[in-house]
Amino acid sequence: MAREITIIKGDLNGSRVSSKDLEERIQEAIAGGARQLLIEANGQHGIGGRIWPRGEKVSIRVRGPVGQRLGGMGMSGTEIVVEGSCSDDVGWLNCGARITVLGDVTNGAHNAGAQGILYVQGGGGARCDTMTKRNPRFEPLQSWYFRDVGDSFAEFKAGGISVVCGVDPRNPENVLGYRPCVGMVGGTIYVRGPIRGYSTKDVHVVDLTSQDWEWLTENIRPYLEAIDRLDYLDLLTRSPSDWQKLIAYTPAERKAREGLKIPLTQFRLQTWEKEVGKGGIFGEYLDHPRTVLPYITTGADRRLRPVWNNEKYLPPCVAACPSGIPIQRCASLIRGGRLKEGLSLILKYSPFPATVCGHLCPNLCMRACTRGRLDRPLDMAATGRLTLDLPAPKPAPPTGRRAGIIGGGPGGMSAAWQLALRGHEVDLYEAADRLGGKVESCIPRERMDHEVLEKEISRFTEIGVHLHLGQRVDKEAFQEIYRDHDVVVIACGAHQPRTMAFPGSEDVIAGIEFLKAVNRGDGPDLKGQKVVIIGARNVAMEVASEAYNLGADSVIAVDSRAPVRFGKRHKAARAKGTQILYPKVTERYDRGARKIYFRDGTSLDADMVIISIGEVPVLDFLPREVHTERGYIVVNNMGQTSDLKVFAVGDVTRPGLITRAIGAGRRAAEAIHAMMMHTDYQPEKRPAIPYDRIKLVYYEVFRDRKFIPEQEANCCLSCGACRDCHICETTCYHGAIERIEGADGGFEYRVIDNKCIGCGFCAAVCPCGVWEMEENI
Amino acid sequence: MESASRLDQNGEPTLQDFPYIIEWREDRCTRCGRCTAVCPQQAIEPAVFAQRIVLSESSTPVPTTVRRVMHGIRQVRDVERYCTGCGMCSLVCPNMAIAPHYNPRNKFLFYKNSGGSPYKRGGRRNDPSPSTLDRLKFTRISMLTDPALDAGRHEFYIRTLLGRILPPDRLPLKVGDDNRLVVGDGAFIPPVREIFPIRIGSMSIGALSPTMWEGLAMGVTYLNEVEGIPVVMCSGEGGLPPRLLRSRFIKYFIPQIASGYFGWDEIIHTLPDMVEDPCAIEIKYGQGAKPGDGGLLMAYKVLKLIAEIRGVPMYVDLASPPTHQTKYSIEEAVAKMIQSMSMAWGFRVPVYPKISGTKTARAVLNNLARNPYASALCIDGEDGGTGAAYNVSMDKMGHPIASNIRDCYLDLVRQGKQNELPLIAAGGIGKTGNLAANAAALIMLGASAVDIGRYILQAAGGCLGDEYNRCNLCNTGKCPRGITTQNPRLYRRLDPDKVAERVVEVFKSAEIELKKIFAPMGRSTQLPIGMSDGLSVSDRAIADRLQIDYAC
Repeated sequence: MAREITIIKGDLNGSRVSSKDLEERIQEAIAGGARQLLIEANGQHGIGGRIWPRGEKVSIRVRGPVGQRLGGMGMSGTEIVVEGSCSDDVGWLNCGARITVLGDVTNGAHNAGAQGILYVQGGGGARCDTMTKRNPRFEPLQSWYFRDVGDSFAEFKAGGISVVCGVDPRNPENVLGYRPCVGMVGGTIYVRGPIRGYSTKDVHVVDLTSQDWEWLTENIRPYLEAIDRLDYLDLLTRSPSDWQKLIAYTPAERKAREGLKIPLTQFRLQTWEKEVGKGGIFGEYLDHPRTVLPYITTGADRRLRPVWNNEKYLPPCVAACPSGIPIQRCASLIRGGRLKEGLSLILKYSPFPATVCGHLCPNLCMRACTRGRLDRPLDMAATGRLTLDLPAPKPAPPTGRRAGIIGGGPGGMSAAWQLALRGHEVDLYEAADRLGGKVESCIPRERMDHEVLEKEISRFTEIGVHLHLGQRVDKEAFQEIYRDHDVVVIACGAHQPRTMAFPGSEDVIAGIEFLKAVNRGDGPDLKGQKVVIIGARNVAMEVASEAYNLGADSVIAVDSRAPVRFGKRHKAARAKGTQILYPKVTERYDRGARKIYFRDGTSLDADMVIISIGEVPVLDFLPREVHTERGYIVVNNMGQTSDLKVFAVGDVTRPGLITRAIGAGRRAAEAIHAMMMHTDYQPEKRPAIPYDRIKLVYYEVFRDRKFIPEQEANCCLSCGACRDCHICETTCYHGAIERIEGADGGFEYRVIDNKCIGCGFCAAVCPCGVWEMEENI
Repeated sequence: MESASRLDQNGEPTLQDFPYIIEWREDRCTRCGRCTAVCPQQAIEPAVFAQRIVLSESSTPVPTTVRRVMHGIRQVRDVERYCTGCGMCSLVCPNMAIAPHYNPRNKFLFYKNSGGSPYKRGGRRNDPSPSTLDRLKFTRISMLTDPALDAGRHEFYIRTLLGRILPPDRLPLKVGDDNRLVVGDGAFIPPVREIFPIRIGSMSIGALSPTMWEGLAMGVTYLNEVEGIPVVMCSGEGGLPPRLLRSRFIKYFIPQIASGYFGWDEIIHTLPDMVEDPCAIEIKYGQGAKPGDGGLLMAYKVLKLIAEIRGVPMYVDLASPPTHQTKYSIEEAVAKMIQSMSMAWGFRVPVYPKISGTKTARAVLNNLARNPYASALCIDGEDGGTGAAYNVSMDKMGHPIASNIRDCYLDLVRQGKQNELPLIAAGGIGKTGNLAANAAALIMLGASAVDIGRYILQAAGGCLGDEYNRCNLCNTGKCPRGITTQNPRLYRRLDPDKVAERVVEVFKSAEIELKKIFAPMGRSTQLPIGMSDGLSVSDRAIADRLQIDYAC
């Protein structure tokens, strides 16, 4: 239906109408039925847009200078032809209008356009076809540019088809302007002519398919007709190879491209190491594999490794026992039902365990016993007493070597015992007429049943030691003994009382002599007497007790300083009434006045004064070759003196406990044995195991347990010695511990290095502290 | 006498005294030992526990006791084996059965001086409160007032100049007969480098493990060669491996010379074989993390690699004293060091000093401003990290970077030299993760570039740091990630390729973030150095001190 053309002028009465008025007039005209309009524009904004479809075509021809956004928000059915060039944003937010511009378009053509067509006879300005959309309900947007387009073309393009024909471009080297397609995510661009600098991270160039070519050749004809350039048809449709197609990368393609341009490892191998050398910049210094280690490692890469250090340490009891009695092994035997064997083992270390361990020893083993930290220590005194009725061990076959031992006290007897049991011929010389030394002669009988000592001395005599009792050794005798024996052991003790010089000191009795007299039955009658003892240490306390036993009225012990320790013997003496005074330094003793005076101006009544401040050895028989120092023989840790054939043990080397003399005797005997038999002496050097290595929590607390040998042995914590409990093997999560039985019935636990991660569980849970973690070097 | 400790843990600290307390869940634990195998401090150990339960199951009270001995994990109460909270135990635990928890009530500093030896550690000032840098906001958003820029689509020039930039009238250039510029006879044009404004600050070979250092170096090289981002990295004071010195990559590196002079004879020996000049030379006078405290590389870290690169015997303590031995005043010290180092490369390489943040920074700056060979001034603020220092130096000494750099910049402005002598800011940039924002804030306060250290260790190496008291084991050689140790068993945990990859990722994203900050301010063609009108802070005192806007 042909209609007349409605002319709407942008100037009225010689002045320009506002964009608002022009728009209202256009809308009014169309509402009134106008379908062909001629707008004589004068720079008005947004001409021809927003004309909602009426089921028929509305044609608008625009003449004269147009404003921005011509055809903005244009709708389908609207056809606009501009007779010349256009200002910015032609077809802005186009929703279906067909816009033909018979000239150039400036910036922003089809910006945000979604549907419709833009035919441009010339070229486009900057930012054309930016933000274009594609709504699947409608046909896609088309933008056609005959020449070229300006910078930043198709930024954030999301849909629609752009065609840039590249005819007579302003820039012959690049028809798409500077940096096109930044942020483009959809749509298609067909372009003819050279392009450069497009956003390669957003789009890529592909060849035209036959479907593309079909679409292009089909749709280019109406375009060229519309812009009156049909004579270019042949040129533009000559060959698909004249054209390129730009499409956006898909989200999946973008995702796949995320990350680095070149994988780092490839960069290292192909660029880095090529320049700096194989193995990298530190390659010449590093000698380890260049692989990456996990946090949890096995084998050589572990930080720590467990080691089954069975019996690497001494149990605290053995380390504490000066005699070195293997208490733990003894307990282990008893635990295994071998009571007799266990007790006999003790005899191999001491000739009188019942006397010493059982009665006289302060039992350092028990003080050290780990079990004591839980409830009470293993009762070694009671265990020692059990050995009383054991027979003497059988000596080894004779070796033909001879040892002479001077002194029949604990040290000498211990050395003799050890040497005789090893098959050596032993001559024992004792000045007194009985064996036992001070144990026999000085220790008050009330401290223990004398029969026990006699029984043990008698057992000692069964092993074949040649006894020479009542034989004091002088210089000559020593030379003889020295000559006749392969080795000599001096164990003559310390029997010379220490004295102090003060007026009246000649009237003072020596404590040791007093005790010896008492033990012989020659003790003085002290009935009603006041006794003062100079010295307040252990032996002085024994003197005090004995003085009371002999009827003394009062006993006062004086000392220049406080006693080192108040032990059992202090307690016993004080229970009998002994007073201890200190500091008291004696000035004189007036026997006639029966008074002792002290430097502080005080005095005490004293019917008898006994001095008990220790004894020193009598060494008048020693040859020059044996060195002494401050009155004692100098020995090394084996008991050897400066004369390599002469050994010395016990109080003659320095005063000490009986058990120390026994230990010294045994160690000297072992060294002598090695020397005489030409073997190596291996002294015990193992340290005591630290207490915290023993896991007490495994054990039930038995606070008031009675002494029953088997139960007692069962309470031994087996410090430092594997009790074969399998805790480690069971605990190891990685199965890295195996138990291996030896051919001899023994066993060991071993680590499987390639399974072990060095976590330390085995070491932490081992009840006996056998497993240890070591630096894995 | 029995040790008191045996009696009842007398005198032992309680777990409450420790900075981190291990929470172990018995119900989830399989006793696999992975946690105890990996704990760098051996702060946890397997243990045996006994449980005693009294039951009465009859209808009347009939007690029976049940004893159960079981194994588990226990935290050690030894101050030297304190839990650092590194969390390696929870990392390797297959069952989420164990984790350390920070204990804010700890009394650690009361104990951490056994043997009379004060607490030494690595890491950074322990202060989790927000730094001044984190409080600065970019409030000039010029969408319509200035040309609006889009970080995603516009091109940006995120580069800075390292070196002295002479103003045109002082450039010794003339227009020649053929209309080209010619340099006057004997004239000196100071060398200038165009670099990315975030640099990797000085961390030495020795302080860092070989895997970490090489990872950083590779990442920097990748950024330059593949990504085209000219990031540079300072060597720290530990020399450089000859292989790197002789490579063309040396142009991306800034060798540092410091008071220990480690590795410098090796560098000088290699000079004739060098195919490229290094980016610049940094002279270290101080370190922000520990002003007045020198460097010390413990003997056990001085293995073959370190010994050879540093040119020292193995297994000796390597001290970098807090002061240089032959320098006595600013004038003398700066002048002779800059001269010497410039001469070494024929005055072709920018040379600049680095000092720790201090109230006296302006005195140094004013001296440099008058020294024609000085190329820049780097100021390292108190929040910088270190491989080893006294805790007291780290926590209580030093100057915050923000006002220090601001004062210096404004001093340059007063002299009209703000475009001539670049200031480089360091110390706590990206402390809480805001790398680009902190960098941009410092740039707008007047810095031409910033250095990062701890940030890149965290980001690229997985350094287990937080700002309370965490890990900080760098000085012990026990770094559980393998970043600051010379023990191959530990540093082989680190894959240099992965480190390099993370370096690349960090700088790529930092560049995007910088664009995101600068775009709304309409800056794309040059860095907004000193553009302090773009900054605001919601704290009046900070605003006044920094001479920036107060906004709330």
